Amino acid sequence: MASHIQRYCSLPCHDVPRERVWQKARLSASVIALAGCAAFMAACGTETTPPDDEPATSVIELPPIEVREGDGLPQTLPADLVWETNESDPVFASSKARRGGTFRTWMLGFPLTLRRVGPDSNGAFAGYLRYNQLGPVSYHPITRRPIPSLATHWAYGADGRSIYYRLNPRARWSDGVPVTADDFVFALQFMRSKVIVAPWYNNYYTERIRDIKRYDDHTIGVQGADPKPVNEMHAAYGFGPQPRHFHVPTDDWVQRNNWEIEPNTGPYQISEVRKGKHIELTRKADWWGDEIKYNRYRFNPDKVRVRVIRDANIALQHFLKGDLDAFDLVLPQFWHDKVTGPPVDAGYIAKYWFYNDLPVPSAGMFLNTADPILADRQVRLGLAHAMHFDRVIDTVLRGDYERLPTFQLGFGEYDNREIEAREFDLDKAGEYFDAAGFDQRGGDGIRQRDGQRLSLRVTYGNSLHTERLVILKEEAKKAGVSLELQLLDSSGSFKQMQEKKHQIAWMTWASSGLSPRYWEHFHSVNANKTQTNNLANYGDPVMDELILAFRASADLRERVDIAHRLERMVYDAGVVIPTFQVPYTRAGAWRWVKLPQWLGTRTSGSLFNSQALSAGIFSSGGLFWIDADEKERTLRAKDEGRTFKPVTIVNTEYRAR
Amino acid sequence: MKADQPRDQTLGWLALNPLTVKKWQRFRSIKRGYYSAIILAVALVASLGAELLVNSRALIVYYEGTVAFPTYGDVIPGRAFGLDYDYETDYRELKRRFAEQDEGDWVLMPPVAYDALENDLRADAYPPYPPSWSSGHYLGTDSTGRDVLARLVYGFRIAFGFAFLLLACNYLLGIALGSAMGFWGGAFDLLFQRVIEVFNMVPLLYVIMIVASIVVPTFWTLVGIMVIFNWTQMTWYMRTSTYREKSREYVLAARALGASNSRMIATHILPNAISVIVTFIPFSIATGIALLTALDYLGFGLPPPTPSWGEMLAEGTSHLESPWIVASVVVGMVLVLLMVNYIGEAVREAFDPKKFTYYE
Repeated sequence: MASHIQRYCSLPCHDVPRERVWQKARLSASVIALAGCAAFMAACGTETTPPDDEPATSVIELPPIEVREGDGLPQTLPADLVWETNESDPVFASSKARRGGTFRTWMLGFPLTLRRVGPDSNGAFAGYLRYNQLGPVSYHPITRRPIPSLATHWAYGADGRSIYYRLNPRARWSDGVPVTADDFVFALQFMRSKVIVAPWYNNYYTERIRDIKRYDDHTIGVQGADPKPVNEMHAAYGFGPQPRHFHVPTDDWVQRNNWEIEPNTGPYQISEVRKGKHIELTRKADWWGDEIKYNRYRFNPDKVRVRVIRDANIALQHFLKGDLDAFDLVLPQFWHDKVTGPPVDAGYIAKYWFYNDLPVPSAGMFLNTADPILADRQVRLGLAHAMHFDRVIDTVLRGDYERLPTFQLGFGEYDNREIEAREFDLDKAGEYFDAAGFDQRGGDGIRQRDGQRLSLRVTYGNSLHTERLVILKEEAKKAGVSLELQLLDSSGSFKQMQEKKHQIAWMTWASSGLSPRYWEHFHSVNANKTQTNNLANYGDPVMDELILAFRASADLRERVDIAHRLERMVYDAGVVIPTFQVPYTRAGAWRWVKLPQWLGTRTSGSLFNSQALSAGIFSSGGLFWIDADEKERTLRAKDEGRTFKPVTIVNTEYRAR
Repeated sequence: MKADQPRDQTLGWLALNPLTVKKWQRFRSIKRGYYSAIILAVALVASLGAELLVNSRALIVYYEGTVAFPTYGDVIPGRAFGLDYDYETDYRELKRRFAEQDEGDWVLMPPVAYDALENDLRADAYPPYPPSWSSGHYLGTDSTGRDVLARLVYGFRIAFGFAFLLLACNYLLGIALGSAMGFWGGAFDLLFQRVIEVFNMVPLLYVIMIVASIVVPTFWTLVGIMVIFNWTQMTWYMRTSTYREKSREYVLAARALGASNSRMIATHILPNAISVIVTFIPFSIATGIALLTALDYLGFGLPPPTPSWGEMLAEGTSHLESPWIVASVVVGMVLVLLMVNYIGEAVREAFDPKKFTYYE
C-alpha cells in the first residue's frame, strides 16, 4: 500500500478539511521537495532530456534483494502458518446502485506526469493513479479489519514482523497479464532502484521493508523492520506490485515514462489524455476484482472525466451550471454562502454533510522549546490558555469546525479521551505568565519580564488561515501576549519549520494509518536538529523510553496503554497547542448523482470519490452512482422551471466518537 | 487672469520666479487637477491624524472627576475606569456603561469608533457584517469583523506613506546618478548605462516573491527592494536633460567663471532640468500605490494584519457575496488614483515648455 507513505513522510497539510488531506499531503510532498529536500533537487537536476539523435540507453539489470544480517525470510514457506481471510464483514455499498454514466469532476492543474513515482509524481492527480493500483489487502471501512484485495489469504510470521500472502490467481493487470509473485519481488527491486529517481522511496523500501520472498507463483512473504500488531502490519509492510512486464529499467526511465499509461489492477484505467484539458478514466468491463465481496455495487460510473479548472471559484460556477456532477463543500464559506439559492432551493442540487471517523490531521501550534521564552513550561501553558479558539470557531468557521483536544486523535482505542483541550481563560493564563516572571505590563499592554516583551512569532503558510490567526492575535492581547503573524508561502514556512527557526509553528500534519506516531514528533533524537518533524524541539528521557517501547511493542493492549500515557505527557508538557479538527466531509451533488441511504462509511474521507481507497488504507470509495433517468427528469424539470423538494442531509451517525 | 501681471500672483510672502508663478497660475486654472490636489492634500493631512478620527480608543474619558485622553500613549487597562480587567479598556462598552450608570461620567468617541485591527464579533451573526448606521460600521466589516472604513483609512495612510518614501528615494538616487552621468559622460556614463540596463532586466515581481518566501517583508524591506530596482527610471530623463543643459552657454559661462562641478550641477543645471522630473511625480505616486496594492493583493506585500488596500481587494473578491468590502476598496482606489492622475495631468500642462520657454 503506497498510502502509508504520507504520514511517514510527514507532510504538512495546511488546509484542515479532512477529505482534502491526503491530496494535500501529496501536493505538499512536491512542495516540500522543492523547499528543501536536497535529494529531490538532485533528482530534478538529473531530469534532462537526452539529445534526439542519441541511441536508446541500455537496460539496467536490477540487483537481487539484499538481505541484512539478522533479517530475512525462511527459504521455504513455514508449515505452521495460519492462513486467514475475511469474508464475514458487512457489504457497505448499496444494492440499488446502477452501472453507467460519466462522472464529471475537476482538478486544479494538469498532472506533470502519469508516473506514480519519481520527480513531480506527487500532484493532485496521483490519487487516481495510485488508488487504482491495489495492494495485497485493504482495510474494511467500517470494521477497520483487513479484507482481501490482490491476496485472498494472509498469514503472520513467528518473528512478529513478517506477513505471507496468497495471491488471487484471477488477478490481472489491465492489459490482461496475470498478477504474480514476481511482480511483488520486482516491485521491491524497482522501488529500491535509482532509476526511479525517488530517494524517499528508495530509503523507505530499504529501511522499512527488509525482505521479500517468492514461494510460488501466487505465494509471497514480506518482512518489515519492526514488529507491529498483526492488523497494522498490512498498512506498514503490505506494499503493492509493479507490472514487471511493463517497466524496463533504464537510465532514462523517468523521462520515458512521463506519459506512459501503466497497467493497473484497480477498477478504472486511463482511456484518454488531453494534455492541459482533461483526463478520462474508463471502468474495466470485466474487472477481475468484481468478484470480491467487498467490491460489490461499487465503482459504478462507466467513465470518470477529470477536467482541469484552474480556480476553485470558477469550478464552482461550472458545478452550479451543471457541468460538474459534484463539488467539495468542506470550507464553511462554500457550504453556507456559495452553494445556496435557486439550484439548491429547487432541489436540483443536493447537499450532504457527513460526519466521519478517521485519523484526525494533527493541527496545532508547535512551540519551539529551544526558544528562550518558550523553554519555560509556564509560558507554554499560559499561552494555551490565552488562545481563544472557540471564538474563531464560532465566527469565521461558522461553528462547523471543532476544537481538537489532543495532538493525535481518530485511532480508535489509541485515543486518550480523558484529555480535554485547555480553554481560553485569562485568569489561568495570567497565573502561568506571572509564575514565569511575565508579571508586568508595558505601555502597550503586553507583558514583560526584565524588559523583554512577551511577543511571539507565529509562522504559517496558508493565507486562508490569516482570518483565524487575526482573531487569536486580538484576543491574546487581552492576556498580555503579542503574536506576530509571519505568513510565508507554504514551502517557505515548512522550510523554516524544518530548519527549526520558528518560535511557534502553525501547521497540520496529515494523519493516516491505524496507530498514532510519536517518535518523529517527540523523541529527543529528533530535537534540535534540522529536517526532522520534532517541531517543538522537545526531548524528555522518560518519554524517549516510552516512545521506543511503543515502537517495539507488537501487543495492542500495551501499545494502547503507552499511547495514552504519551498523549498525556505531550499534554502536560504543553509543547503543542492542538487547534481545530474537521470531523466531517461535505459535498454538493446534482440530483442524479445518487448515494447509498447511509451516504458513506465510517472512514469515508469523501463521498464522491471514485477510487477504491480513501484516507490511504480504507477501502471506502466508489459508492455513488449516476441515475440516467433521474438526470433526464432533472434537466427537463430545470428547463420547464419545475422544482423538487430541496435536499440537505446531515448524517451524524459517526459523530460521537 | 492676465498673464502679463505675474507679480500680483505671487504666493504672498514667497517671492517666486515669474516662471514658477505662471506655472502655478496655469495649474490653478485646470480645475479638476487643482481641486483634486486640494482634496487629496486635506485627506492626507487628515490621515496623519487618523487616530483622532478613526479609532477604538476614546478621544476623552471623564471618569470620577478626572479627564483622560487615551488616543495617543500607553494602553489604559480597564481597571483604571472601574472595570474588572487588566487589558485595554473597551471604550465603546465603557461609553454604554457610563450612559447607563448616569453618574456624570462620559466618554467621547471619534466619529468612527473602530480601529483597523480589532475584530468586532457578535454572538448572533457571522461576519462579514453589512454596513450599518446603528453599529457604527459605516462601510460594513470584513470576514473577521474588522471595520472596512477603518482599514480603508489606515490603508490609505500606509499606501501614501509608501509611495512618497519610494518616490523620495528613487528620485534622490535617480537624479544624483542621472545628472552625474549626463554631466561627466564618457566611461562613467557608459558604465552606469550598462549597470542600469542590468537592473532593468531583473524582474521585480519575482525578486519580491522570492524575498517574501524567505522573510516576511516589512514596510522598510519593501521600500528597500523597490528602490533597488526602481531608481533607474529617473536616471534616463535626468541624464538626457543634463546632457542637453550642460552644453548651453550659461553652463559654459559658469565654467569660465571657475564654478566647481557640483556647483554647476546643483545650482545651474538642476533647476533647469528639474521641470522634466516634476511632471513625473504624480504618476510615480500613482505607480507606487498601485504597486503596493498589487503586491498585497498577491500576498507578497505587507504582513498581516496590516491594513492594506490590496489585502482588502483580495478579501473582497473572495467574498463577492458581501459586496461592500470590494465596493469600498474599489471606489476608494479609483477615486484616489483618478485624483492623482488629474493632478499629474494638470502639472504636466502647467510645466509644458511649449507655453513658457524663454530661450535666449
